[in-house]
Amino acid sequence: MKTTTRTLALLAAAALLVSACGRDEDGDADDAAQAESVAEGPAEGTIEVWAMGAEGENLDVLGAAFTEENPDATVEVTPVPWEGAHDKIATAIAAGETPDVSLIGTTWMGEFAKTGGLDPTPEDLVNPDDFFPGPWESTVVEDTSYGVPWYVETRALYYRTDLAEQAGLEPPTNWDELKSFAQGLQEQGGAQYGIYLQPGQQGAWQTFMPFAWQNGAQLTDGDQYAIDSPETVEALEFYTSFFEEGLSQNTPLDPGALEQGFVDGTIGSFISGPWHVGLVRDVGGPEIDDKFDVVPLPGKDSGVGTSFVGGGNLAVFDASDNRDAAWKFVQFASQPETQQLWYETINDLPSVQSAWEGGPLTDDPLVAVFGEQLQETEAPPAVPTWEQVAASIDSDIERAVRGQVEPTEAVANMQQQAESIGTGL
Amino acid sequence: MATVSTTPAPVAARRGTTPLRRSQARTAWLLALPFLLLFAIFTIGPVLASLVMSFTDMRSTDLRTPFAVDPAGVSNYVDLFGDPLFRKVAVNTAIFVLVGVPLTMVLALAAAVGLNQITRVRSFFRLGYYLPVITSIVAVAVVWRFLLQPDTGPINQVLGLVGIDGPDWLGSTTLALPTLIVMTAWRNLGYLMVIFLAGLQTVPREMLEAAEVDGAGRWQRFRYVTVPVMRPTLLFGAVITSIGYLQFFEEPFVMTNGGPLDATRSMAMYVYDQFGFGNYGIASAASYVLFVAIAALTFVLFRALRSTD
Repeated sequence: MKTTTRTLALLAAAALLVSACGRDEDGDADDAAQAESVAEGPAEGTIEVWAMGAEGENLDVLGAAFTEENPDATVEVTPVPWEGAHDKIATAIAAGETPDVSLIGTTWMGEFAKTGGLDPTPEDLVNPDDFFPGPWESTVVEDTSYGVPWYVETRALYYRTDLAEQAGLEPPTNWDELKSFAQGLQEQGGAQYGIYLQPGQQGAWQTFMPFAWQNGAQLTDGDQYAIDSPETVEALEFYTSFFEEGLSQNTPLDPGALEQGFVDGTIGSFISGPWHVGLVRDVGGPEIDDKFDVVPLPGKDSGVGTSFVGGGNLAVFDASDNRDAAWKFVQFASQPETQQLWYETINDLPSVQSAWEGGPLTDDPLVAVFGEQLQETEAPPAVPTWEQVAASIDSDIERAVRGQVEPTEAVANMQQQAESIGTGL
Repeated sequence: MATVSTTPAPVAARRGTTPLRRSQARTAWLLALPFLLLFAIFTIGPVLASLVMSFTDMRSTDLRTPFAVDPAGVSNYVDLFGDPLFRKVAVNTAIFVLVGVPLTMVLALAAAVGLNQITRVRSFFRLGYYLPVITSIVAVAVVWRFLLQPDTGPINQVLGLVGIDGPDWLGSTTLALPTLIVMTAWRNLGYLMVIFLAGLQTVPREMLEAAEVDGAGRWQRFRYVTVPVMRPTLLFGAVITSIGYLQFFEEPFVMTNGGPLDATRSMAMYVYDQFGFGNYGIASAASYVLFVAIAALTFVLFRALRSTD
């Protein structure tokens, strides 16, 4: 009895505490953020940078190059593992204990910008037109840019050239050809599955949405979700037809199984990002090199089809002690020469278009294909709730692929879920 | 039987009025202080904070100004029960507990009784049953996923030898959860078995012999002597297994990631996902629902298995 009373008292106290400090809805935070410009002259002082994965381990290369141009500045790099990076940055923002600069995954921009931890990109620091449009859009939250695209990745079509030759097929240039291409690789080429499309689970939307985009569908219209459209439905019908006709397996592959199946010749083609070039070569050895190729995704009727674009942005925190120098480092990282140096260091694809002209990026024809694909890309909307919306799209794709619901119903449910989750802006 | 008594001292002395007792009490508090501080900061604090959070609309974007969130009343709880996914994970978790706990208990008790009979290779078997408990779940997951592969996995190959076309265990929406239940039972039965084995040692031999003299068979001796004596041990086993299974997380996380189609997603995974999505209010509310479920189930078990004297 006594415990109940105490609990009730506690709840009442909690309710009081909460109601005493309601959010100020008309606060200045909602106004479009004003970007301050950066002082002239070379950078000075220490710039603390966080970066994840291979980027974090190798960033010292750029740090050294930056110090060469700015002798009074030093770049201090803290490598952070991708796992937990999101929470680490979120906690740092909450505590005001941020570094000066950090690598931010493109899908996190909406959330961190909305939290109020990121400094708006100064006008005149970089020219937005220098970048691929999709990646630049990923930095823009509610009409304000909060960072600069650093590297990009996009998805293209991998296929076994020897199997295609055996089946007498040229790489597809439209949807119909893509279908007959997969059929040919399977029937005449001898692959168990003509293509692998992700049938569901985390990230399936990244394989599916390009088809919808190629068909003219959109995820958002202004600040509203616009997933439910005849175009999206038609794209999902096309997507699920690959599974109904047995051209793609309908259970997700384990990590590592895709490149193994591709090298074995059991999977004739698949859609993935530039990292798969290395993975396929690792599994297949030197013999595989003249047995596979990469081509841009086919459009619905002709030309290069729209693909998904992801990657990483560099952002400066508003709690930075060395803001101007931090932005100068970001500016340096987006110079075409620096971007080429970075490609040579860890094969990250440049977000700046001119970095692709001449230089190391023209050496590998497979890499050049991704450069071509980057001209036609879309990025997911930069909203804080995107990960949750994406998870529900993934699950609706899986339902449709397994034939549990009709594509119309699946797409309607994507829209309904997205609306109930909201944009979080 | 003689009752054990450790307090022959008169009641007045126990109240702690003598200077010696008072200084002892002070020392005790002093020694407990580091723990109490850590407990207050790292357990009580977060528990209360999340309780408050569950009545607000807090999201990850409010981290900077956590005190400026709006009160949401019970709307998080209402939304939760309106969410078909939450209802689904609640049902999954309930099935997991209702099937998994009895299964694990029965298997562990059978193993313990069996091992109690033999003496020669007991430690070998005890090790064998206990090994899964101390093996990393990640290693276990890799091996089980390999065993359960639909086309090439040893389990389906053996089934194929006897003419059964083995299903895709983890890929099927109906079989994935039962498969994980079996795997979890295998992983946990060693721990319970060790506890039950210890419990079996407390069953007085003379009682069993007396029952045998009275003409009780093997099963009757087990049912009417061993089980009643082991009641507290069984209760303990049931409670910790239920608490553990209600928080079912690791197995689906590493084996199926909650799929296919959320067939193996548990309440704990739902909480984890919601925190990941930044919905702190909903996530806190869901953890309190889980907390209440754990408290209720523990209460029911205590009621059901309480010694009847």
